[in-house]
Amino acid sequence: MTTSTRRRSRTPGRWLHAILIPVAAVWMIPVVMVVGLSLMPPSNPTTTFFGILPAQPSFSNYLTVWQQNPILQHLGNSLLIAVPSVVIVIVVGSMAAFALARLRVPLRGLIFGALILALVLPMSGIVVATFKILQAIGLYDSLLGLVLVYSALGLPFAIIIIRTSFLAIPYETYEAAVTDGANAWQIFWQVYFPLARPALAVVVIWQVMMSWNDFLLPLVTLSSTELKPLTLVPLAYRGIFLSQPGALFAILVLISIPVVLVFLLVQRYLVNGLAGAIK
Amino acid sequence: MRTKLRQNTTGLLFLLPALTLFAVFVVYPIVYNIQASTLEWDGVNPGTFIGLDNYVRLFQDPTFLITLRNSAYWIPLTIVPQALIGLLLALALNRGIFASTFYRALFFIPAILSPVVVGIVWQRVMDPFNGVFASVGKATGLDWLGGSFLADPDTAIFAVIVVNIWMWTGFSMLFYLAGLQLIDTSVLEAARIDGANSFQTTWRITFPLLKSTHLSLLLLGIIGSLKTFELVYVLTQGGPAHASEMLPTYAFQQAFQLQSVGYASTISVVLIVIAVASSLSMVRVFGAGFISGDEK
Repeated sequence: MTTSTRRRSRTPGRWLHAILIPVAAVWMIPVVMVVGLSLMPPSNPTTTFFGILPAQPSFSNYLTVWQQNPILQHLGNSLLIAVPSVVIVIVVGSMAAFALARLRVPLRGLIFGALILALVLPMSGIVVATFKILQAIGLYDSLLGLVLVYSALGLPFAIIIIRTSFLAIPYETYEAAVTDGANAWQIFWQVYFPLARPALAVVVIWQVMMSWNDFLLPLVTLSSTELKPLTLVPLAYRGIFLSQPGALFAILVLISIPVVLVFLLVQRYLVNGLAGAIK
Repeated sequence: MRTKLRQNTTGLLFLLPALTLFAVFVVYPIVYNIQASTLEWDGVNPGTFIGLDNYVRLFQDPTFLITLRNSAYWIPLTIVPQALIGLLLALALNRGIFASTFYRALFFIPAILSPVVVGIVWQRVMDPFNGVFASVGKATGLDWLGGSFLADPDTAIFAVIVVNIWMWTGFSMLFYLAGLQLIDTSVLEAARIDGANSFQTTWRITFPLLKSTHLSLLLLGIIGSLKTFELVYVLTQGGPAHASEMLPTYAFQQAFQLQSVGYASTISVVLIVIAVASSLSMVRVFGAGFISGDEK
């Protein structure tokens, strides 16, 4: 009996690894390739190991990228788009979620309808109109315009996910705080907001993925090169990169590092946060 | 009466910033789209009202048919493999095996990369001269692997679909891992004591209990498929000869390359109608619980 239980708990682990390791290795090929090819010097653009790794690795591309393009400026633009939009979505989204979870709100049904409409609304479906609206309100070719659009588009998902985690907090907590004389803002900010951390982690990564990674809106609403975010660099300097594929991949690595870092920071909350959302 | 009023005001104040952003950047663009879809308009000079002519033109446009056909490929061919591989990975990683957090991070990384990064690297993976497929083909004698899948009208859309599966499978995996956490393990324990093997418990108990996860992924998959712009834009620009065109890339081309803003708005309106109609019908059929998180 004991031996059979032990065998049961050990062998699955082993054969699972025997399947998972090769699958993961194949799955990672494109990721390894981005890093590998970023080390491929223009003087020797030959590759080895099925075209994944450079024959003669060198860091020269990073130097080239640093010297040729105002890379810090583009990085700064990306940050100026992503960080404010994350903050707005977190604060504005959890306020709305709190109202929908705990406060009396007129026209609830209509508001929920609008939420679901906005959730399914394709960004690509409103990009033409957004372009015209930003022009009309003087936010064409400005980072603030992008921040506001990303915030608006990120809000429905944020509200739905944060509201669910607020609903999971026992109603008695709310009543107790009311009895203690706390006002709605205090209850929201001091009690509810801190308890929604796993849901907020999901919202952060979701919003970073949208605002940092997107290039459609900047492509359409930014005309000045000096305002372009990092994701537009490969497209904006396409001509230059034709002769320097290694430098192009170095840019791709630079685009990816910040999102991967954010992901590693919040990943331990992700599964719990999502579990709260789909419950 | 006064308290009720004050409560209403507080609720509205909390909602006000969100509602303002919604009104300006979600509701107004939709209205704007609808209005612009009735115009013959280059986006610069004043447009001429042409009623529903743009819609008539769209329904006779062969490229519109291609985009519908491509969506019909895209929806099942991305959702099913992503869910299936994602579920298998989640089931494997949910057993608390060694390094499961590491595997989880590896499989999720493609989903957090920018479509620019994913698109450009996959162009290289499928490059007929320097690509991985071509190199493997050369090494194994499977010469067909060296084909230019992205440049061939017969394969372009499927090549983009493969990239999409690679990118989003980790996302499905994460959803299933979250769904698996919500399953009461005592049910599985009871089944095991009754003599059910692990295949039976997975198929008969776990799989049905993951219903809300399946539905969330289905809904997100349909919306995601209709929204698809970035990957197609970077990989093929909708070409060759519209072969991999999707509604968003076609609208983009009409608006920003051909200066037919009126026609592009028409495509956008149709896109929004399809997205909203398919989501609402899903909500109708399956109940809204899985979106709003309300008790069923």
